Amino acid sequence: MDTSSLRTQGRSPALRAARDGARAMAPWLLGIAPLGFVIGVTTARADIPALAGWLAGPLVFSASAQAVTIELLDRHAAVLVVIAAGLAVNLRLLLYSAAMARYWQGRPAWWIALAASTLVDPSAAVALDGYQRSDDPEYGHAHYAGAAATLALAWLASIALGATVGAALPGGLQLELVIPLYLVGQLVRRVDDATTRRAVTVTVVLALVSAAAPLHLGTVIAIAGGTFVAILTGDGSR
Amino acid sequence: MSVYLAVIAVGFGSYLLRISMLVLAARLGAVPPLIERAARYAISVSFAALATTAFASHLALARTAIAPAVALAVGIVAVQRTRSPHAAIIAGLPALWIVTALTRT
Repeated sequence: MDTSSLRTQGRSPALRAARDGARAMAPWLLGIAPLGFVIGVTTARADIPALAGWLAGPLVFSASAQAVTIELLDRHAAVLVVIAAGLAVNLRLLLYSAAMARYWQGRPAWWIALAASTLVDPSAAVALDGYQRSDDPEYGHAHYAGAAATLALAWLASIALGATVGAALPGGLQLELVIPLYLVGQLVRRVDDATTRRAVTVTVVLALVSAAAPLHLGTVIAIAGGTFVAILTGDGSR
Repeated sequence: MSVYLAVIAVGFGSYLLRISMLVLAARLGAVPPLIERAARYAISVSFAALATTAFASHLALARTAIAPAVALAVGIVAVQRTRSPHAAIIAGLPALWIVTALTRT
């Protein structure tokens, strides 16, 4: 995209960038909305106070960590185990934070504080695409804002719908595989060099080997192993 | 009370993870080089781990591994052909439904 056009052409370029961000988030919503719905239903059925279950949505803001937290609370696991498992699943957010740092440096503290609250897999992926689409950082910032707001609204609405309506989606649709399929789709597009290929291969093998690890640590082990291989074998040019 | 404590702690801890490197970069002027290098692969590695774990848990509960495996293969081929990540859903999901229906009978 020609960034000079962003400043000079048309009305409200920030609004246009935000709309682009919202549009880029749309395919993710196909998987996120049913997932949020199912988490809402699970939360409503879990043996925990409804308010605590609802609070997990905006506070944790991550499907996998939220599912783990609710599941362990429902099984009356010790508080420290719940916290450790939830945070272990979310450790990858540290890397997303590092990935966004170069783009968000110099932004007002309030903006960073707000933007960080919605930083998760889909918003990080859409954000990086937005910053790569234009060399005007303002476009990327507005693109992120549009994407993150869309994600937050859809996520919280689908959880609320699942918790209140409670009617389950037909299990035969196997919609729980929509997000993994989309993650694979994103992955295939991104694996474009030898280092990433090696890192992803190691990650997949480790995730399969450690699938039965306690406290859902398999994901963390796989991410740590893949990242280690990338750092060890990468030439730093990426 | 402990339920609220756990939810708030996971939420607060997750927020700290989200903002940690942003604060560090603001203070130091940059993210430490090692973390910066790791961050370049964060999306690919995390997506690979999340997708594999999700497929593995689905297979653990599914009666057969054929349908998810076919859906995965069809999804990958569709993305390679179109270079669009959406193709993984558009092609993979119907493949999942069709193979599930065929293997059920």
